[in-house]
Amino acid sequence: MSVGTGVEPVVQMFHVHKRYGPQIALRDVNLTVLKNEFVFVTGPSGAGKTTLLRLIFLQEEVSEGQILVNGVNLQRVRRKMIPLLRRSIGFVFQDFRLIDSYTVYENIALVLEATGHQKSYTQKKVRQVLGMVGLEDRMHTYPPRLSGGEQQRVAVARAAVGNPWILLADELTGNLDDEAADMVFDLLRQLHRRGTTIVVATHDTRLFDKVAGRIVFLNKGQIEGEKRS
Amino acid sequence: MNLIVLSSVIQRVRRNIAAGPYLHLAATATIAFSMLILGVFAILYVNISDLVRSWQQDIRVVAYLEEGLVKERVELLRRHLAELQGVEEIRYVSKGEAMTRLRSQMKHRASLLDGLKENPLPASFEIELAPGWQRWERLDPLADEIKTFSGIEDVAAAEAWLHRFTGFMGFFRLASLIVGGLVFATTVFVCANTIRLTLYAKRQEIEIMKLVGATDSFVKIPFYVQNLLEGALGGIVGLGLLFISFKLLIARLHSGHALLSTFDIRFLSLTGCSLLLFVGIFMAWLGSYISLRQFLRP
Repeated sequence: MSVGTGVEPVVQMFHVHKRYGPQIALRDVNLTVLKNEFVFVTGPSGAGKTTLLRLIFLQEEVSEGQILVNGVNLQRVRRKMIPLLRRSIGFVFQDFRLIDSYTVYENIALVLEATGHQKSYTQKKVRQVLGMVGLEDRMHTYPPRLSGGEQQRVAVARAAVGNPWILLADELTGNLDDEAADMVFDLLRQLHRRGTTIVVATHDTRLFDKVAGRIVFLNKGQIEGEKRS
Repeated sequence: MNLIVLSSVIQRVRRNIAAGPYLHLAATATIAFSMLILGVFAILYVNISDLVRSWQQDIRVVAYLEEGLVKERVELLRRHLAELQGVEEIRYVSKGEAMTRLRSQMKHRASLLDGLKENPLPASFEIELAPGWQRWERLDPLADEIKTFSGIEDVAAAEAWLHRFTGFMGFFRLASLIVGGLVFATTVFVCANTIRLTLYAKRQEIEIMKLVGATDSFVKIPFYVQNLLEGALGGIVGLGLLFISFKLLIARLHSGHALLSTFDIRFLSLTGCSLLLFVGIFMAWLGSYISLRQFLRP
């Protein structure tokens, strides 16, 4: 079940089931996300939106079915390979997941340090993404001293700094006021314009009108339909 | 590890230590203390082994002759004894020489011997042993064999005390192993817990690192480096303390105890010190390994 703007699939989910004991989180999900698509996954709380993103990000294993990310079958990925695969996927968490004892700069640079990039490249790239999210002047600030909106912008910058094929965002604006939410969402639009594939799990319907994309409706772990925004 | 990763590792090691300096100080002090205890045992072991070796080299058998043996008989006995396996050299000590020696050993108390009407000391053969025959398990049968010779009244060998001392050395070796094992286990436990506490304090940071694509090695290396540094520092401090304590003790012994001053008590060799330092570093590494293995288990 896919409607795309490009031709290359970045994510393919085939008959994916996810169970936590007797509880079913996802049931027979089939979804294809094409290159440079902007996809919203929406639905009520407990619909399975977060689980779907976590499966793509290898934070969970599928109970049944198959997921391919850029042609790589996630069930066949060895544990050691998971970090390497994650480097090609950016993830923006609802609770930001920034390291409080690292400055804004260090939080973002960590992604590039972990991949062994040159210091000069890291400095240039971090400054570039901080410029994009408008926080260049806060690079030496620690996250607890930032507002929620600023923290989420840092989280977006961190997710974007490694030039991922795809960026996943879980309830990106859930903890933000409208103004901060708009500012953060603008960043995703910018990244999309630059060619990044975006998948946003959200129940914030206001966002659907802000970008031309695809909305996938999820309910009780099943895809109930989709439409264009 | 390239320079970029190295600089990141150094930065994170600094952060880890800065986050709990007293914890790391305690771990380093524990390693230093362990080194001190292990070092004391090593020094005792080395020096007692030296002493036993030197005593073993001096071990000889003394065969006391029956009273009134004629010169020819004595010479015949000497020839027979010289044919025995393990005998290197035989020296005859006459009754008169034995008395002279006793007088010289008794020094100013020698006048006590003046009252003796006749010399009660027997003549003897002092039998030097061939290399490798100073061990009690070879000495005992040799002494028994000499006793069977006609004309030999009695045989004195150092086997009894040597046996006891060898037994003591075995016990000392066992005690050293047990104490060493306990010290080792305690130090590894302390190091493992230091890392465990650091890991616990940084669990959120580690989780985030893994989410942004950091490998297990990237996460682990700073903790290993941190513990190896603690191991090396603790080892150096422990060895330093051991050396200072040794020098002070030796100076005291030499000034106060004339008998002890004749022994050449030596410190650990360079190899021994390196080995001890390596043990300290290894204990710290093992502590990290155990904790990191448990913590990063999927």
